[in-house]
Amino acid sequence: MSVSPGNKNPRDWKAILTRHEMLLLYVLIAEWLFFYFAGTTINRRGAVVGFGTLDRQFDILRHSCEIGLLALALTPVIITAGIDLSIGSLLGLCAILFGKLWHDGGLPISVAAGLTLVLGALAGGLNATLITALRLPPLIVTLGTYSLFRGLAEAITHGAITYTDFPASFLFVGQERWLGLPTQAWIFFGVALGVGLLVHRTTFGRAFRTIGLAPEGARYAGLPVGRRLALVYVLAGLIAAIAAIIYTARLGQAKADAGTGYELFAITAVVLGGTSIFGGTGTVHGTLLGVAAIAVLKNGLACLPVVMRMNAAEEMSGLLTGALLLVALTASVLPKILSRFRARHHAPAP
Amino acid sequence: MKKILLHLCTAGAVLLASLVTATAADSKLVVAMLPKSKGNAYFISCKVGADKAAKELGIQLLFDGPTDSNAAKQNEIVENWITLGVDVIAVAAENKEGISTALRKAQKAGIKVLTFDADAMTDARSFFVNQATPEGIGQGLMDEAARLTNSEGEFAMIVASLTASNQREWQQHIEARLKEKYPKMKLVAVRPCDDLKDKAQSEATALLSANPKLKLIMAICSPGVPGAAEAVKQAGLTGKVKVMGLGLPNENKRYVHAGVTDSIILWNTGDLGYLAIYAGVALAKDELKQGAKTFKAGSLGTFTIAGDNILLGKPFIFNKANIDQFDF
Repeated sequence: MSVSPGNKNPRDWKAILTRHEMLLLYVLIAEWLFFYFAGTTINRRGAVVGFGTLDRQFDILRHSCEIGLLALALTPVIITAGIDLSIGSLLGLCAILFGKLWHDGGLPISVAAGLTLVLGALAGGLNATLITALRLPPLIVTLGTYSLFRGLAEAITHGAITYTDFPASFLFVGQERWLGLPTQAWIFFGVALGVGLLVHRTTFGRAFRTIGLAPEGARYAGLPVGRRLALVYVLAGLIAAIAAIIYTARLGQAKADAGTGYELFAITAVVLGGTSIFGGTGTVHGTLLGVAAIAVLKNGLACLPVVMRMNAAEEMSGLLTGALLLVALTASVLPKILSRFRARHHAPAP
Repeated sequence: MKKILLHLCTAGAVLLASLVTATAADSKLVVAMLPKSKGNAYFISCKVGADKAAKELGIQLLFDGPTDSNAAKQNEIVENWITLGVDVIAVAAENKEGISTALRKAQKAGIKVLTFDADAMTDARSFFVNQATPEGIGQGLMDEAARLTNSEGEFAMIVASLTASNQREWQQHIEARLKEKYPKMKLVAVRPCDDLKDKAQSEATALLSANPKLKLIMAICSPGVPGAAEAVKQAGLTGKVKVMGLGLPNENKRYVHAGVTDSIILWNTGDLGYLAIYAGVALAKDELKQGAKTFKAGSLGTFTIAGDNILLGKPFIFNKANIDQFDF
């Protein structure tokens, strides 16, 4: 994977330019340009509307923060060859807990938010304990907590209560701009930087990859596998709680169905970003590109006049996101297949 | 390889060009309609009326909504429409407070906002197309009950619960109408069914054995009507004791065709969609303003406006003759 900076022969450049993340970047740029030209129009009142407006770009950013955060949470998890299906449900549970602490508990917003983060981390800790102490497969454990967390959220609210009427100072986080960007984008970028440094610049990150490739090997090499795994799941819980608070601020409401299905979008973004679902490899910038590619596709489609006339933005985006994922995965194994093909044809005659 | 790439590029460019020209031709007024969920047969039947209105008015209608009843999705769709610069947004709110933040943003962007079927916060929209007032429902139910019994004899009611506020309100209007217009009719019992069909059936069976002179059962919650019908059918009293009430056509079709249930009362959902589109377009053209007392909507005629509620008016009666035209 690594390219030594001193060595500048053309082969290495080619390797960099055809890396998965770079390919994804080309796709993203192509998507963006396509929607910019095809999805921007002038409306009846003479205003430029559609994809090519700054408002739309900010909307894309705002709408992708929560799924983006969950994808960031999942990247280290998947690198360790694990999975966390519970984070979408945890987002819902945290949103409800946050609303309850503030509304029924009478706590100030900041204290309620702080407590919610702690509770999110604890919920992640529950996953971590079951996975590391009992050595249960992450898929099964988080499938259980997926239902458990959502069930708790529904039980607390009886499926009916919705917390609303949050103060404007709190809604600022989800609905206004700060220093030119949507406020929550700063939080998102902050978390991205944090997770990026953790995965790429610390020994923890190296441990995650080692565990993902060979957990037994890592154990024999003296790595504290249990503690490293616990860290990624607790971190996932914490980030899900952050996403819950941003979600609540964006919509101005906390309801038990918050974040339903988000875990699948997040997993799609991570895998699209080049992280192997079998663990061992993956990058945070790849995940960010994956999130962006999906968000631009989804938002861009809704701007296309053809799609608008069919009233099928939702269906089309689901369909094309799936297609994009399959194409990306195919493209990433294509060079390998091509080289095998070439090797066979250029093999010297016996 | 290069050749393929070149072909792909030209294909892309052609596609792009066709899309751009396609948009340039559109300069119609754009009305965007947001149901609670777009797969719901109830809202699909609203769309039928909305489509008709859009055709008559020569506007472009966007009809999009969550595939399930999802409040967060509703907000995202509204925000999408804001940057698309539509002229009017008509919403059936899944969550009153939640949707209102997005609707206020739309108003700030100069988009006319109205609600139908389920209202948002009053400051987040200009008008609410109200499908049924408690008074209209109460009077409609009582009048139909009187018609079925020739305005005389005993009848009983099945309600969802004795405390639910909408049920209480409807019941009061029914009783007021009874007192005022039908002195020969007598309400002998009011039983709760907890919004359950089974409970409604057992309550109705009990009512039938306790009141041998009963001529009609009126259920004012939707599971109540098929529940009461099942009880009447099993007691072998089909035709002798009439069943009617508030409900959805689909769950009652079977009983209506079997002659157990006589009529179902609700509003005409197609008309609701039609009226919402007409009102939206009138708002955008500045023909409908705050304080107006009436509003004329195409072929449906004139509607009353009470405050900022445009009233759809009298409830609609579904019976053997027309129930098959509705699918929700």
